Amino acid sequence: MTRDRHHILVVEDDPETAGQLVEQLTTSGYQVDLAGTGNEALRRGTASEYAVITIDRLLPDIDGIAVMRQLRDDGVTAPFLIISALGEVDERVRGLRAGGDDYLVKPFSFVELLARLEALGRRSDTVAKETILRVGDLTIDLVSRTASRRGKDILLFPREFQLLEYLVRNEGSVVSRAMLLQHVWDLHFDPSTNIIDVYVGRVRRKVDGQQAYPLIHTVRGVGYCLRAPG
Amino acid sequence: MLLAKTLASSTFKLALIAIGTFGLIVSVIFSYVYLSTASYVRSRSDQAIMTEYLGLRGDYERSGRDGLIDAIRRRMNSGSSGDRVYLLVDPSVTVLAGNLGEWPPAVGSGSGWVEFRAAGPSPDVARGPLLRAMLETFPGGDRLLVGRDISGLDNFTAQIRTAVFSGLALIFVLAAVVSILVTRRTVGRIESINATSRAIMRSGLDQRIPLRGSNDEWDRVAENLNLMLDRIETLMAEVKQVSDNVAHDLRTPLTRMRGRLEKACHGPRVADLDQSLIDDTIADLDSVLRIFSSITRIAQIETQARKGGFRTVNLAEIASEVVELYDAAAEQDDTRLTVAGDREVLVTGDRDLIFDAISNLVDNAIKHGRPGGRVVVTSENSEGGAVVAISDDGTGIPAEQHEQVFKRFYRLERSRYTPGNGLGLSLVAAVVRLHDARIEMLDNAPGLKAKLWFPSPSAWTGIEVSGSPRGSPSP
Repeated sequence: MTRDRHHILVVEDDPETAGQLVEQLTTSGYQVDLAGTGNEALRRGTASEYAVITIDRLLPDIDGIAVMRQLRDDGVTAPFLIISALGEVDERVRGLRAGGDDYLVKPFSFVELLARLEALGRRSDTVAKETILRVGDLTIDLVSRTASRRGKDILLFPREFQLLEYLVRNEGSVVSRAMLLQHVWDLHFDPSTNIIDVYVGRVRRKVDGQQAYPLIHTVRGVGYCLRAPG
Repeated sequence: MLLAKTLASSTFKLALIAIGTFGLIVSVIFSYVYLSTASYVRSRSDQAIMTEYLGLRGDYERSGRDGLIDAIRRRMNSGSSGDRVYLLVDPSVTVLAGNLGEWPPAVGSGSGWVEFRAAGPSPDVARGPLLRAMLETFPGGDRLLVGRDISGLDNFTAQIRTAVFSGLALIFVLAAVVSILVTRRTVGRIESINATSRAIMRSGLDQRIPLRGSNDEWDRVAENLNLMLDRIETLMAEVKQVSDNVAHDLRTPLTRMRGRLEKACHGPRVADLDQSLIDDTIADLDSVLRIFSSITRIAQIETQARKGGFRTVNLAEIASEVVELYDAAAEQDDTRLTVAGDREVLVTGDRDLIFDAISNLVDNAIKHGRPGGRVVVTSENSEGGAVVAISDDGTGIPAEQHEQVFKRFYRLERSRYTPGNGLGLSLVAAVVRLHDARIEMLDNAPGLKAKLWFPSPSAWTGIEVSGSPRGSPSP
């Protein structure tokens, strides 16, 4: 059975937040089902195949993590995005250990949510086996860890290559600063400075400097997106 | 009031149980002493009677009735007869010899032990002495009674009995009094602690439990509770200080936002202006949220809960990762950021937090360093443990402010307008405390050198470290 990449289940008990989420996600092209309680989430979660399930940690009836465990036991394979006001790392780790695939702390910007949904949706339906990835005239070789544009090599530090690889793997979708920190540096906190922007700025100069068109685009207030024009 | 509390207190109940158990044991011991004494005394007197009886019966068997009469008379006249009783009667119960007036009616014929009261010496004394005697009826019908007045013995055992009972009663009374006194004292001390607790709940943390100066365990308890109250009071004061600071720092952006929105609310809608207003407001809200999450993060670190996730980490590796992350930022500021020192500096800690602390210090060094200057991050194993030092050659911090920079929200006046919420160094301080590390601010002449001293992993018990760091002091 193939699942619809844009069919998602949102488990959220606060009606206003839920309303905003459904409205914005629908506008962004998702088909959204909403569950307001843990029991409803259990019912809906097993009834259809979702691309992603977002789940609030604190639900009125059952704890979000318990719902997630139950759904996993029932054979639900969709990735879970845990959304919670319990922000600190311990809680985060607890959520991920219990079977969550990603974690988002309230309050979050909608674009950040979208970026993470995109990344999770992609993870659930493709497993990249290629060793060479291409976007426009950019080629990156995952084996020799080198990058080039129009055949001209780009000199990158190992961490810079990792960052570029992550952007390329998420080609066309927005990647937030927190996601970069998490996947490139394995850090689970927000350094609350513009340090990531400065770092990406340097990678961008190396990748996009003196080229026909830019590949790395800034998404205001959120992060970055790598895409070829057209 | 106090008596009611004393009687209801658990100490008193325990005392009652102890008294009960003790009393039971003492009663058993006393009864044993009494019974064995009484039976010993009785068996001694029985033995004496038996000896005499056997002697007199021998006389009768040897020399007949007359011989026995002689023997009895002899014994009666021996002077030491005292409490002894003899009586010989013929078959018609006529007294032949002896010191009893008549054959006691309570005693029939036959042989064996008898116990009876003799008739009183005069009619007005109702009860005569208690006698115990051995009885024998000879084949001819003569009857012999040999015995003793055992009233004295009876009195003796009665005395022992009285002593035992009054002793027991005394013990119970004493125990009851003592336990009431002890319980009263305990209840009194607890009551003073309770009174203080109630006063604190009613009015505030300024009350303390009075000490009696007796230096006993109650004073210890009171002392510790007072120390705890001191600690709570300090923490409350800190919390108040922090919430004042939070209120101040959050109020600024919130006021800005409110003013902006109010102005827009009353003014005409202009698409461009509205757009920038919304953008600015979101940016301000983000900064509010950042301050907020920094505070909760610091608070969370200070609960020490993260010590559970401590691992052995390489400071040198973390330092070089931080340098790598800030390399681009340094380049932008025209600062030379380099890393130096040992390649393996092992400490026990939380990578995320140490990373965060070092990046805060590096970030500060770059921001407050001299443009075109240099920032060096050095990690090394030294005598006192593992050290990571971040030094710049900028303006530095005046020596008298070295301590204050770790207070939450503290910012040097001159850098009030550089970005940052002033929480960075507070976070560093919290991380340092969590790791039992220590931070030193030194004059780098020119510039500032921040040194973090971590205890070497061997100082942590129960954590095995492979590859002992160079230069660490041997235990």
